[in-house]
Amino acid sequence: MDGAGRVSGVKVGDARPVRRGRGAAYWQAAPFALLFLLFFIVPLVLTVAVSFWRFDDYVLTPELNLDAYREMFEGCIDRLPSLCVTFATYLSTLRFALMAWAVTLVLGFAIAYFLAFHVRSVPMQMALFLLCTVPFWTSNIIRMVAWVPLLGRNGLVNQALQGVGATDAPLDWLLYSEFSVVLAFVHLYTLFMMVPIFNSMARIDRSLLEAARDAGASSWQTLWNVVIPLCKPGIVIGSIFVLTIVMGDFVTVGIMGGQQIASIGKVIQVQMSYLQFPVAAANAVVLLGIVLLMIWALTKLVDIRREL
Amino acid sequence: MNRDGDRRPPAFWWLAALFSLFVLFLYGPILAIVVLSFQGPSGGLTFPMNGVSTFWFSKLWQGVGVVDIWAAFGRSLRLGAVVMLLTVLLALPAGLAFRKRFVGQGALFYVAVASLIVPSIVVSLGIGLEFRIIDDAVKALAEGTGWGFLRGYETAAGLYTSALGAHLTWTLPFGLLILFAVFNRFNPAYEEAARDLGATPGRTLRHVVLPIIAPSLVGVALFGFTLSWDEVARTSQAIGGRNTLPLELQGLTTTVTTPEIYALGTVTTGLSLAVIGVALAGVMILRRRRAAASR
Amino acid sequence: MNDIKRPGQGPIGRRGMLRATAGLGLAGAATRLAAPAVHAQEPVVLRYLGTAVNQSAEIATKAKQDLGITIEYIPVTTDDVIRRAVTQPNTFDLLDMEYFSTKRVAPSGNLQGIEARRIKLFDKITPVFTRGVTAGGKTLGDQGTAPKKVQFLTGRNSKEFATSPTEWMSLIPTTYNADTLGIRPDLIGRPIESWAELLNPQFKGKASILNIPSIGIMDAAMVMEATGQYKYPDKGNMTRAEIDRTMAMLTEAKKAGQFRAFWSDFNESVNLMASGETVIQSMWSPAVTKVRSQGVQCIYQPLKEGYRAWATGFGMPRTLEGRKLDGAYEFINWFLSGWAGAFLNRQGYYSAVLETAQANMEPYEWAYWMEGKPAAQDIKAPDGSLLEKAGTVRDGGSYEERMGRVACWNAVMDENTYLIRKWNEFIAA
Repeated sequence: MDGAGRVSGVKVGDARPVRRGRGAAYWQAAPFALLFLLFFIVPLVLTVAVSFWRFDDYVLTPELNLDAYREMFEGCIDRLPSLCVTFATYLSTLRFALMAWAVTLVLGFAIAYFLAFHVRSVPMQMALFLLCTVPFWTSNIIRMVAWVPLLGRNGLVNQALQGVGATDAPLDWLLYSEFSVVLAFVHLYTLFMMVPIFNSMARIDRSLLEAARDAGASSWQTLWNVVIPLCKPGIVIGSIFVLTIVMGDFVTVGIMGGQQIASIGKVIQVQMSYLQFPVAAANAVVLLGIVLLMIWALTKLVDIRREL
Repeated sequence: MNRDGDRRPPAFWWLAALFSLFVLFLYGPILAIVVLSFQGPSGGLTFPMNGVSTFWFSKLWQGVGVVDIWAAFGRSLRLGAVVMLLTVLLALPAGLAFRKRFVGQGALFYVAVASLIVPSIVVSLGIGLEFRIIDDAVKALAEGTGWGFLRGYETAAGLYTSALGAHLTWTLPFGLLILFAVFNRFNPAYEEAARDLGATPGRTLRHVVLPIIAPSLVGVALFGFTLSWDEVARTSQAIGGRNTLPLELQGLTTTVTTPEIYALGTVTTGLSLAVIGVALAGVMILRRRRAAASR
Repeated sequence: MNDIKRPGQGPIGRRGMLRATAGLGLAGAATRLAAPAVHAQEPVVLRYLGTAVNQSAEIATKAKQDLGITIEYIPVTTDDVIRRAVTQPNTFDLLDMEYFSTKRVAPSGNLQGIEARRIKLFDKITPVFTRGVTAGGKTLGDQGTAPKKVQFLTGRNSKEFATSPTEWMSLIPTTYNADTLGIRPDLIGRPIESWAELLNPQFKGKASILNIPSIGIMDAAMVMEATGQYKYPDKGNMTRAEIDRTMAMLTEAKKAGQFRAFWSDFNESVNLMASGETVIQSMWSPAVTKVRSQGVQCIYQPLKEGYRAWATGFGMPRTLEGRKLDGAYEFINWFLSGWAGAFLNRQGYYSAVLETAQANMEPYEWAYWMEGKPAAQDIKAPDGSLLEKAGTVRDGGSYEERMGRVACWNAVMDENTYLIRKWNEFIAA
């Protein structure tokens, strides 16, 4: 046993001990649930109610109708196979989400692995985590501005590349491109992948790894057959973080894509900025439904609540 | 650190190199910020550099910008601290509850996840609408009853009401899900043992569970603070009167923006790194002493 | 009480509640009148919501000195100003917003008409706002949401704009100016004379427009007219066919990679130009000045087709009453009385009452900023930093030359909803 976070033990088979105090569970979950009721459910219901209202001439009229939804999917079926705006936008958003997810997963896993298995003292782990957190204490508003002097035509990266003679003209695609959007996502969200995976890894008993090694497993085999299966919940949780945030994002796609790349969050934002609340709310409802389905499918693959 | 004395495997060096590159990547924008914060008085926010000086730091120090950055800084710091505390205090019991079975468990889980999905501007608008209803109700009450303490009532929306709630809907799902990872395969044998020895659930939690998960809780707290500190979209319609720091900064970008904000970034980063360095050194020294004493 | 019968009272039509509030409002006001002494000692605090453009610490400090009124700035983005105005009029006391937004905010019923006779310098407010002409008699283009179209309301609690001057104003103008193309002469190396250059393939990957759909499309419309492809009856209020046509041109340019990025705020427009990411883009005059003060060559380029103008002004939320309402009038009157106007003119904006601003500026400053004369001495920003060296002439010339050549105004179109749909289509293309 090596540090407080490391305590783990032999699994007690399937005979999970009956836990007493089930009534206590309600008290424990109540404040949490209440908060979401007050600051999420009620506001969301208000917004969804608005999505059924009528909107014209800048006036919202409370009246049940489906105009907003109809408008969203106008031409989506009859114009197939060419994609309507909504479908094209969802596709673009999904593509970015998958790219960001793939990169953050590999990177986050590798770094969590390094911190969990190669860095051995808890204070050192904490210090390295903090080191990764510090950049986020400078407001994102400032950091987003700073991407221009970093990746722009006269930015640090282009200057460095030209300085060492790797390129002889500035690379345009470093900024305001799909590349820069994914780069910014990786920059912002790798930590979100890393933290849950790290916590999963911290639960893995060292003796299990040694046993695998003693049994003649190569380190890749150990990784594939022991570590990854045991990290699945962490991976799924990290994936939930990255997918949910990227699917609804509009700030990063907007700024890093030069406002020229579509995302469903951006569509909603543009509509909201023109006070078209009904159609924006309708879009949000559809987005919520689709992403919830994705998450539901993920948790069917790995039930993150089973082995709590 | 290498207490076992065994040699580092090659994988260590590869991963250490990757980690270093990752940190470099994370600090990329900060690098540009630090360099550009040392410009002369006519400097802008992009390259080419315009002279070298500490002009913008003195400007920041005097706080003579368009708006009061330090007041906003203080508000955000206090709000962040409250959010951090509440994130732990609400997410931990919820995490513990999820280890048992209760009706509505699945629903609560999906609500928390939904809170991450719904674009923040939509949530923010909803909270704004909600507080307007509350305000109208209170005003009607004030007019109706003539109660003195309600006179001059403006709005219930504010930093520690609507904004705090908005922040928590953002930080709590992260807190809860990270705790899922923490409690995953958490061996109940320890709790069983404590209980068998006659410990109450409270004592078991305090003396057995908490010490084991303490580092992870610190992580959750850190997450909570960082998310709150940087939150913009969800707060934008739910802030009421006075802005948080990121909102104030965003407002500033609508007019002449100077390297003062870069100086702020440099100071924040420098101070944070210094504090972490000192804390780490302190812990290391403490540990060494303790180890020496126990030997 | 007539206000309660209108539909759609704000986004949440809780009419019952409002009826109660309105009815009891009179009683409340009476109580307040009866006991003025209670509050007399407390200084008035005005929560001032707007973009940071006019929110200078100096103005707040000076107002505190002169009036004893505390100004609490709430700087937010352009989008948030409007959203807050429509959904939460109770979270601020004074609104500083763009004129074209009144078309979206006024119908919500959250604005109260400002009494013209309580504005001391009402008669001195430049006729640009009231009649659409400059003091020198030049008639401004009135395509788009020209201020004169939305300057007056039909009554205190009206949601409708009056076609001729009334006693009730929607906004009291604070600043205004005319936008044109900003260019980097060092990187372009030839004269630019027409809006058509914005979509010239020569500047592929180096051009930018505003990321506000209703304004971005007007930049495109300027190009459309400049290239002689089409002449709009009103660029600021297009028909669906016109929107389709204009967006098709923009989409083609976007697909060809014409745009580096669209800019959303002042700061972004400065950074794009200063860093050389773009060499030609629509721009504000003070933003050009800012780029130049960083030692980067940049010109606010007068073009033969004229300018696209904008204006901002103070609005009062419906909920404002009592001492705060009086305070707001007091502050607005002070704002127009010269000191603030001079302060804004020195940044390159134009103020609403020119005479009083002139009285607060040095003659050489006035000559440079407003008369288009060469600077007799170095021109400094309010914070003392150097803006322009002696001898420089302001781009675009005098006030009359600039405002007199306004072709259209930032706008919200009647086909707004359709435009937004087309804009989202354009982004997804």
